[in-house]
Amino acid sequence: MALCSHGALADDPGVSKPLPSPALRHLLSRFSFGVTPGLVGQARAAGGGTGWFERQLDHRSIPDDAAGAMRGWFPYLDKTPSQLWAEDQTAGGRQGWETGIDLQRWTLLRRIASNRQVHETMVELWSNLLHVPSPEPKSWPMRPDYDQVVREHALGRFEDLLIECVLHPAMGCYLDNAVSTSRSINENLGREVLELHTVGIQSGFDEEAVRDSAYILTGWKCDRFNTWEASYSTGDHYIGPVRVLGFSDANGAADGRELTRRYLRYLANHPATARRVASRLAVRFVSDEPSAALVTHVADAFTRSGTDIKATLRALIAHPEFAASRGNKIRTPTEDGVATYRALGVQVQRPSRADDAGNAIAHQISTIGQAPFDWPRPDGFPDVADAWTSTSRMLGSWQVHWTVAGGYFPATGVTYRPNAAWLPALPARFDEVVDHVCRKLLSRAATTRMQQAASIYTGLSAGTRIASPDDLSPYRLAKLLATLLDTPAHMNR
Amino acid sequence: MLDDDTCACADFRASRRTFLRGAAVAGAAMATTTMGDVFTQTAYGATAANPNVLVVLSLRGGADGLSIVVPHGDPGYAAARRRIAIPGSQLLEADAMFGLHPALAPLRPMWRAGTFGAVQAVGLPAPKRSHFDAMEAVEDADPGSPERRGWINRVVGNIGGGAPEQAVQLGQPMVPTSLYGPAATLSVTELDRLRLPGPTDVESVRMHRQAYAAVWDDAPGPLGLAARSALSTTARLRSLATTPVQPQHGASYPSSDLGRAVAETAATIRAQIGAQVITVECGGWDMHTGVGTSDDGQMRIRLDELAATLAAFFTDLGTLSAQVTVVTISEFGRRVVENGNAGLDHGYGNAMLVLGAGVRGGEVHGTWPGLREAALLDGDLDVTTDYRSVLADVVRSRFPEANVSEVFPDFRPEAVGVMR
Repeated sequence: MALCSHGALADDPGVSKPLPSPALRHLLSRFSFGVTPGLVGQARAAGGGTGWFERQLDHRSIPDDAAGAMRGWFPYLDKTPSQLWAEDQTAGGRQGWETGIDLQRWTLLRRIASNRQVHETMVELWSNLLHVPSPEPKSWPMRPDYDQVVREHALGRFEDLLIECVLHPAMGCYLDNAVSTSRSINENLGREVLELHTVGIQSGFDEEAVRDSAYILTGWKCDRFNTWEASYSTGDHYIGPVRVLGFSDANGAADGRELTRRYLRYLANHPATARRVASRLAVRFVSDEPSAALVTHVADAFTRSGTDIKATLRALIAHPEFAASRGNKIRTPTEDGVATYRALGVQVQRPSRADDAGNAIAHQISTIGQAPFDWPRPDGFPDVADAWTSTSRMLGSWQVHWTVAGGYFPATGVTYRPNAAWLPALPARFDEVVDHVCRKLLSRAATTRMQQAASIYTGLSAGTRIASPDDLSPYRLAKLLATLLDTPAHMNR
Repeated sequence: MLDDDTCACADFRASRRTFLRGAAVAGAAMATTTMGDVFTQTAYGATAANPNVLVVLSLRGGADGLSIVVPHGDPGYAAARRRIAIPGSQLLEADAMFGLHPALAPLRPMWRAGTFGAVQAVGLPAPKRSHFDAMEAVEDADPGSPERRGWINRVVGNIGGGAPEQAVQLGQPMVPTSLYGPAATLSVTELDRLRLPGPTDVESVRMHRQAYAAVWDDAPGPLGLAARSALSTTARLRSLATTPVQPQHGASYPSSDLGRAVAETAATIRAQIGAQVITVECGGWDMHTGVGTSDDGQMRIRLDELAATLAAFFTDLGTLSAQVTVVTISEFGRRVVENGNAGLDHGYGNAMLVLGAGVRGGEVHGTWPGLREAALLDGDLDVTTDYRSVLADVVRSRFPEANVSEVFPDFRPEAVGVMR
């Protein structure tokens, strides 16, 4: 099968020799969507884990042409809100929900293919903290641009990220600030900015603070369900003294834009926000129950650096608790799906039909229990194991592992690694084959239990001689790959 | 598709789901020959001594109880809702104070038969106006304790048994707070996903199970527990997973996520696998804009779907209805006064609906605090009945073997009278 020039991954890089050290694999695993021999090679070329991480923080300097070209596969993502709305309102035109799913598809493909893996992990984290669902009926025409704003600031300063996201019309439309006025206040966004985006409920803000937060935010309009034009309306801005926690202002001017930015800057730099952001980072990258000491350490770096995200991440990975947390985070369902595509070296091509891989992937991965941005409430996905370890999640993961390992679905718009490419130099004993496949798939050696399971499910004993690729039928290879994917080694990160 | 602020959220979801289902069907058709677990296991002997089933319907987002069980007899109601009040003349089964939203017409026969009732002015002991806080508190139902354990988890833990299918969530795979805790529970999107992947011949399935056992038998942590539960559950529930959901007695469900999940609820009850509490989530009630009038808008769309689904459910169950009780819960009610967008912001007191076996229906229970200014709490309907009292009534009536004081610790339920 010919490899498409717009494929999702670089050409098969073989097996890492030697395997990455446990410490390197841990760093790569936590800050990517799945360790592959190619990723290990990039880390080695950068001089090891620290060098790789620093290089990744400067994400714009990393060549990423193959992933970059995927943007062109989803042209609706780059149309203006009014163009998207006109399409949606035309019989037979492109419907809004489908554009919302395009964003999921493109996001999944980037997570699979991009060389800027740390950036992708941070885009996911901030998208979840400053969550605007996709698809979502009140905000969808602005949602692709919102994603670009998150991407722009994902490794910059939290303060800038917060201001740009909260004041983005997608957020304003989603949480109703776009229709809140001094005469009829809608406090939806005013509350969530405090509770979800910054200081959190433990900061002790009261209902008056919520109301004043909503007052400050009045004026940032968007013409929902019409032109979708964003504007600032001085006539709709509430005038009068406001007080939220330690922030107070006479708020005497009809133009509250500077005040709004000052307010959000205050919230971004509030100690409670530092703790909340630090805790989110620690739960994402370290463990479900990070210690208070780790959270304080990361929060201090956040505050000292003036909400600099790079400095905060450096502090996090330097803390001994990070290194000590190997293997103790389970992959969320979308991470599992993405890591499965990466591990199997699946090459996705530009989709044209609904069942082509580039389109079908969003639904396929959602069957595990989660799709990107598809959380129905503004608090974002939970990020702890207990939320993602239901019986049905396990069954969903195993089903997708099997379906992709066998190349059964998606069946079009995709190239699977040829069976022979999985095998070591032949002839070899079956246990040598299992170990080789495991190194290639998971960048680690096969354990005794993996060997046992592979042997039982394929019906081949450890000593069976595999002399040619024909000695391992496609069905048996699929069983072997799925057996290795259906293990804690793949389902943890 | 979305023509104004009374946005067609339901349509948005529905069209999208329809699309996704199309993709799923295409994917499944390809794999028909290789999937499907035909391995025969000893059937799980799920002959629970108590055949009663409680179905908990969570109306996510804060459903406006005042639009569902409408207090038309209170002058404060129409005054507060100049654009969205339902006129008394359009209400169903109205008495001097309350009447049902006209969209509940499919449930009218149950109201008249006395198997559908409501409780007004219920809620948390103190207001929580954040969705997430309120949902967490409602489903945890144990405010004094730092332990995160849901009330449904305590119900099944208290009754005993230990199989995860005693408490089931249908419609989505994430564990809700109500089910969260030490007792095993089951959350599934669709029943036919309760099976292992791979080839379906008997020998392959047997080997596959052995292979899984080699990897997962003593794997630690939540992942190991989930894997072992998946393996044992698929063995026990093989026939439920492989039998197509077939509504009975001419029942016809709306083709929506809710309709499908409730149809699967009926199928699960009919299969008698030992499910005692089944929860289903029903989203879309967070109506900050465009609540609408009696015949259009978000409230009408949502209630049409809800009423059609529940009516189909009891038709589908037939004589099994004598064992099944449905209760609705929403995290909070909404503000009495409509906002500037003909919508409703987060409030406090709410209504609960109770249908089916054991219900003392045909009336609105509870104590009405009134909507005059002095009776409101920060502009919201006050709560005169703790929602736990309603749930305690239901649990006591349907699961007399459960110890209500352990299900709702440190709480003395008041008599509500909604259950016989």
